[in-house]
Amino acid sequence: MSDSTLLEELLREQHTLSAVERFSRVHDRLTDRTGSFTQLLPAAPPIPGQQYAFAVNLDLCTGCKACVTACHSLNGLDPLENWRDTGLLRSLTPDQPYQQTVTTACHHCLDPACLNGCPVQAYEKDASTGVVRHLDDQCIGCQYCVLKCPYDVPKYSEHRGIVRKCDLCSQRLAVGEAPACVQACPSSAITIQLVDRHPPKPGPSEAMLPGAFPSDYTQPTTRYFSERPIPPDALPADAGAHRLESAHFPLVVMLVLTQLAAGMFAFLPFLVSLLSPQALLALASCAFLALHAGLAASVLHLGRPLGAWRFFLGLRTSWMSREILVFGAFSGSTTLTLAAAIAALEPALKLPFPAVFKTLGPHLLLFSSASALLGVLSVGASAMIYIDTRRPAWSAGPTSVRFFGSLLLLGTATTATVLSGLAAAGIAIPAIPAIIAVAMVVRLGLWTWETQRNARLLRDPGHPAHGTARLLRKYYSWSPRLRLLLVLGATTLALASLSAAPKLAAALQALSLLFTLCAQLLDRTLFFTTAAAPRMPGRP
Amino acid sequence: MNSHPVSTLFHRRHGPITEDLVLQPGNFGLGQIPARLQPDATTTLVCGFCSTGCGLKAHLREGSAINLTPDPDYPVNLGMACPKGWEALAPLDAPDRATTPLLRDRLTGAFSPVSWETAAERFCGEFRRIRETHGPEAAAFLSTGQIVTEEMALLGALFKFGMGFVHCDSNTRQCMATSATAYKESFGFDAPPFAYSDFEQSDVLVFVGANPCIAHPIMWQRVLRNPRKPQIIVVDPRATETAMAATQHYAIRPRSDLLFLYGIAHLLFANGWIDAGFVEAHTVGADAFRSFLADYTPDRVAEGTGIPRERLLQLARTIGTGGRVSFWWTMGVNQGHESTRTAQALINLALLTGNIGKPGTGANSITGQCNAMGSRLFGNVTSLLGGHEFTHPEHRAKVASILQIDPSLIPSQASRAYDQILEDIDSGKIRALWVIATNSVHSWINHGRLRSILAKLDFLVVQDLYHSTETAQIADLILPAAGWGEKEGTFINSERRIGLVKKVRHAPGQALADFQIFRLLAHAWGCQDLFKAWSSPEAAFQILKRLSQGQPCDFSGIRDYAHLDAAGGIQWPLPEGSPSAPEPERRLFEDGRFFFPDQRARMVFEAPRPEPEPPDADYPFVLLTGRGSSAQWHTLSRTSKSACLRSLAPEHPWIEIHPEDAEHLGISPHAAVCIRSRRGATTAAAFVTNTVQRGQVFLPMHFPGVNQLTFPAFDPYSRQPSYKSCAVSVIPVTPQPGSRGVGETPRG
Repeated sequence: MSDSTLLEELLREQHTLSAVERFSRVHDRLTDRTGSFTQLLPAAPPIPGQQYAFAVNLDLCTGCKACVTACHSLNGLDPLENWRDTGLLRSLTPDQPYQQTVTTACHHCLDPACLNGCPVQAYEKDASTGVVRHLDDQCIGCQYCVLKCPYDVPKYSEHRGIVRKCDLCSQRLAVGEAPACVQACPSSAITIQLVDRHPPKPGPSEAMLPGAFPSDYTQPTTRYFSERPIPPDALPADAGAHRLESAHFPLVVMLVLTQLAAGMFAFLPFLVSLLSPQALLALASCAFLALHAGLAASVLHLGRPLGAWRFFLGLRTSWMSREILVFGAFSGSTTLTLAAAIAALEPALKLPFPAVFKTLGPHLLLFSSASALLGVLSVGASAMIYIDTRRPAWSAGPTSVRFFGSLLLLGTATTATVLSGLAAAGIAIPAIPAIIAVAMVVRLGLWTWETQRNARLLRDPGHPAHGTARLLRKYYSWSPRLRLLLVLGATTLALASLSAAPKLAAALQALSLLFTLCAQLLDRTLFFTTAAAPRMPGRP
Repeated sequence: MNSHPVSTLFHRRHGPITEDLVLQPGNFGLGQIPARLQPDATTTLVCGFCSTGCGLKAHLREGSAINLTPDPDYPVNLGMACPKGWEALAPLDAPDRATTPLLRDRLTGAFSPVSWETAAERFCGEFRRIRETHGPEAAAFLSTGQIVTEEMALLGALFKFGMGFVHCDSNTRQCMATSATAYKESFGFDAPPFAYSDFEQSDVLVFVGANPCIAHPIMWQRVLRNPRKPQIIVVDPRATETAMAATQHYAIRPRSDLLFLYGIAHLLFANGWIDAGFVEAHTVGADAFRSFLADYTPDRVAEGTGIPRERLLQLARTIGTGGRVSFWWTMGVNQGHESTRTAQALINLALLTGNIGKPGTGANSITGQCNAMGSRLFGNVTSLLGGHEFTHPEHRAKVASILQIDPSLIPSQASRAYDQILEDIDSGKIRALWVIATNSVHSWINHGRLRSILAKLDFLVVQDLYHSTETAQIADLILPAAGWGEKEGTFINSERRIGLVKKVRHAPGQALADFQIFRLLAHAWGCQDLFKAWSSPEAAFQILKRLSQGQPCDFSGIRDYAHLDAAGGIQWPLPEGSPSAPEPERRLFEDGRFFFPDQRARMVFEAPRPEPEPPDADYPFVLLTGRGSSAQWHTLSRTSKSACLRSLAPEHPWIEIHPEDAEHLGISPHAAVCIRSRRGATTAAAFVTNTVQRGQVFLPMHFPGVNQLTFPAFDPYSRQPSYKSCAVSVIPVTPQPGSRGVGETPRG
């Protein structure tokens, strides 16, 4: 046989799959792999007042991690998608060695934060099983559940544009089969048990495991138990190994621009009697554009924006829904404000507007006041979105200072810039130095507060937000200098503008605003990336 | 479920994305599985990672595997698998598979694809030239425990009998050479005596240098099925996962294992915890061993091992009076500078207490690779095909007559060992090397020197699934191999079970099964007539059966692959004439007869030698190495191809260090540290944990920096490298401000 005929034969043989003809097994000879796990499941389905829950016997879990791969394979998950994770607890006490693998999935909480946070009710807690189910086609990919869940359970898929998560293999349980992880554990460490749906609420210091988020937030149902006591100093293997979180750039832009707009509208009513109609129209247009550019950016954050109209479904519990509602009203009132500003100028412009439009002009004060109020409420709702996640970095005080500080700073700085521009165009504008002065005070105040707070957090390892300060130092050691540069630059330019000729003053003001915007975009980016997310114990 | 149109408008409970996760009965005993993964047939094949040898059920569609589940009918794993088994298909789909032969231009260093004809011609041209110029000892191969037995046998036969070379070895030298040597010297044949059912039937299980929770999770499953509430004893410097699950843990000083085991034997004698009847009837050397042990007093042993006298006595009592005692060891024993004697010290404990040949007993080496056992019997490396000896003329005659070849084609000397082959390359004696399915440049001990040694070769061929391994990257010729699941053949697992691997996937491009590559090269060499009978893996299996006849490993009673498939694998021995449905789990030596002419086992012993590189002032830490996690295998060439497996272990190297040492050195948790030995340096993230002792650090072996540090000591009998202990220093790396520390990666 020549080389090439042999090669052809070998390649042909290589590409013939013969296992089926030669060895395929027939169905009736096989053991049903799902049949032998009944002892790991409850004998009967939950009765009212009960629900299914995972129970993990830590003494049997020895770290093989088959549960993760089985969940992945038997549920057909995407390559990078895991609904179950494993981590490690260890201790530092000399001569008392301790390590314990921890397997964790969705805890099917009694008060699920994901469900409460979802703006479109893409989560439901099954009435009979208690399983927290995610409705994949309902999801709009806002990822608020990812921020809300303190156990890192919902997993966002970029290419699907939605999150997915463990559903306790409901479809398997419904036909009496064990969930994938339960089927796969070689030591039967994971079982499904029935738990009371109305137990006494956990105390504020109770947690499922060392390092896990306090259970009083969502009331997780997973039970970890062990006959060997977990040492009091046990801590997750990844404790102190802080990771950067996603930056969510569309949200960074949205927050900065909407806070800018809210700030401008907040000052507008005070200026109505002081400024000319042209000046008022310029301010209203600028704020209106900023607001809607910000809102447009927020849409880019959604994986599947077309379903976002269902936002009202979550109003009862979700700050995301409430934010959308308030921003909707804000947008409406700013539209009216802008219309009124145009109408007020109409006699001069002689535009062919319908008569009803012309009646808006006199109500500018009313509409701008409504916009001022709704703007402040919108920024409040934005802040509540983050505060409600209970991440230590996003606690109420600092988040409010940042968001309302932004509102004040950007509102005054932008207003001053627009007015300087008008002054440069020869329109007489009063009050510019006063507004610039307010911006300057707010800017320096915010910088001082932020700088001192970070230094304080870094010194205090016991502070819940200490990790954020460490992340800042580790990954953004350049950021304090950049921030200082931007703040000093903005302040100097604004100061210089006070004594400059109108045209130069306008240019300096614009530059100062640019510096201010950059500083705010930086702050908002760090706001996201350094907000260490609570998680279950992780790997070394 | 409410399907009112208004409700549907507001709540989309169904739709294309939801559909993706809808389960339906998968049939074939699979339960509910995603509808899009519905198979049209299933078949079982043995896993290709470790020696546990689990049965995996491939879910087939049009003959090709689309998913896997562990087989509940397979007697080894009873429906369970570790993460590697679950993810066994993923590495086959990797983008860096070699799909065509690649030839490197020595001037530019670039690889270019060539035809198989060119590759075979080049291969034979180079090897023939070297043989003609430098003789039959001037080329060698380094093979593997990861390919099927039929391929190992054909490779060994082709290289030695067909091409006429002498030297070859396998990466099983790195894992199992010690057990093979110890068994041969003690039992008369390389014969691990156990069945996995022994895990379930022991009263006392003694694990020495073994961490089955992580390295062999499915064997640990069998331990947990033990209904006898056994004492589980772990002897290991680290508080491993297995030590945490044990009832007694002896954290001996690294490399004090031989002393420790002699100390236990001393106490067994001293307290009369000896099965005198068994020792008398079935062993040789007990008296000499007893007098040898006189020096191994509890005081001396306590001093040398760090284990107090009373705990030594506690262990001796547990072994001496505990009922059925089984002894298990893995790499902690095998990879030592006096590993053969250490394994034999364990064998001696089993013999002294009569714990062999009965349920729940045995001196049991847990093997590493899926087919290390096949390699030991049929690699044609240290021993002649079928566990025969190259040095015995009658063995050579027997093998020659079965293969129908001229006996003079069979060399009368065994091959040089792995380390000696590398020495010969270094000294210029060996000029060409053929590396098959192993990654020496990563895995070899003290591999910092290996690259410069391999650079001296005239010709380096690497035959592998991937063109990306560290070794393939420096080859002159890369031969693309089909992987596990893309070809047929058999593996032999730890308990001597011969199991079947089937072809359930198309190999990519022009990749060929190793078996076919060997046939192609035989043809190109012109020696194809010698291998006419090796027409397929199953035809080769029939040859292997005949080679095993009359040997302790005789499996001539296995009919064919279909027989293996129907039985769920069959343990050797199964001589011709045995029942075709043998007991599914059998152990050796139930009759107390060992494989020496006098049928008695030997007690082999020797005074411990000092460890080759103890810590000192400059290098104050003992470096321990081992398996990092159950999701990592060897040099990660396969497991790193699965995103799911990657997610189960840290991406970066980590070093385990005791809290007090870390504090003393100013190392904070997760900080980057530099680990330095006399041979090299590497960096890792500090994992501060009290599971390692003071003065010791642990590095997982999977990262390439680790074996730049290890000390090249070898057991003199097995030539196995001593990976488990060397001296290192550890210092914190002060990160540049703003630089990213090892182990702290940004998310998103």
